[in-house]
Amino acid sequence: MRLIDRSPRAANAVRTVSPGGELFVASVVICMILASFGDAVDPMLFGEAGLEFALFDLGGEFSVLAMRHWHLLQLLLAGGVLAAGITILRVCSPAFFKALRPAPAGGVEKVPIKL
Amino acid sequence: MELEFFSAAFLSALLTIILIDLVLAGDNALIIGLVARNLPKNTQNKVIFWGTFGAIAIRATMAILVVYILAVPGFMLGGGLALVWIARKLLMPESNTGASHLAKAPAATFAAAVRTIVIADAVMGVDNVLAIGGAAHGSILLIVLGLAISVPIIVWGSQLVIKLVDRYPSVILLGGAVLAWTAYSMVVREPLLVAWFEAHPATKLILAILIFSISLGPWYSARLSENMKPLVVLLPALLVWMLAFEVAASVWKVQVDYLLARDQGEYLFEAVRWLGWLPLAAAFLWLREQVVKRSSRSARA
Repeated sequence: MRLIDRSPRAANAVRTVSPGGELFVASVVICMILASFGDAVDPMLFGEAGLEFALFDLGGEFSVLAMRHWHLLQLLLAGGVLAAGITILRVCSPAFFKALRPAPAGGVEKVPIKL
Repeated sequence: MELEFFSAAFLSALLTIILIDLVLAGDNALIIGLVARNLPKNTQNKVIFWGTFGAIAIRATMAILVVYILAVPGFMLGGGLALVWIARKLLMPESNTGASHLAKAPAATFAAAVRTIVIADAVMGVDNVLAIGGAAHGSILLIVLGLAISVPIIVWGSQLVIKLVDRYPSVILLGGAVLAWTAYSMVVREPLLVAWFEAHPATKLILAILIFSISLGPWYSARLSENMKPLVVLLPALLVWMLAFEVAASVWKVQVDYLLARDQGEYLFEAVRWLGWLPLAAAFLWLREQVVKRSSRSARA
């Protein structure tokens, strides 16, 4: 018997996890798969196809191909940044799309100038 | 491989070991309590001391053994596959969180109690030691640190760990993901397969997704709707299919790149590779539907 089995919440972690925690772990898993993609792709292949500039940034540090060298700490940090970015997008995008939505044709706020 | 002290690789391996220690720590205190509950009071104290000592000794012995065992060709692959199963089991929702099956009956004597505690800890600690051995990349210092972290958890830290995982269940998911990542790195580092993976780099991506899809299956299965549930089986099966063709192509020396295929046999091989899984998937879906229909009919009856 494991220690975590003593806590009903931990023993059913897949059901009891918070949305934020789940998003963070999912982002870390995505970063891990991207790192394995970097590990699986031969950079020469992209060089031959002329795609090296599409996949490498200027320093070559933050591209998917460079992620093959990343360790767990870097993957956790990248996962945290990705999760934060997704959260910000989720919060901010409704406000952005609300501003794009036209006001009703006969609405008072159609012309936002009060005479 | 010796990692440079306090480098990112060293700290990452240490963090991996701490996470593994947290999520795979065995409940030693419960085992001791269950085994020693019928013994006299003064014998109970002795059982607690010697049981804990025996548990630490067996953990240290296993940690030393695992370093040498993982160096034997083939064991890194076996260990990696075992970790996939351990990660999957970790994320599987538990229905029975009652007494441990390892120590159901109380011991009648001091020796029997200590023996039961040591055997129970050895059984509970195998997954922990194996995962730490895989995460330590052969570094003895990291193995010792892993042991130094797991021993206080065995002896004093159980309540702290329970409070932590109860407050943040995402630690368990992260532990499962880290175990899957460790399993992937173990399989890729297998001495018998290193040359093959270098010759077939694309298979590393297939392998990584396969390992994550099997290990984290219980997690995404809990989020999928009933109609999408077959994906839990179909995705790993498709990846195994792809991987099997890569392996078969290496064994029988067949060209697997359709752009480089030369004769009709190789074109046929390619057709089977890319389309052959479709009838199998359809047959699986049909069979699954029949089983679901039959079980719902029998439930109604």
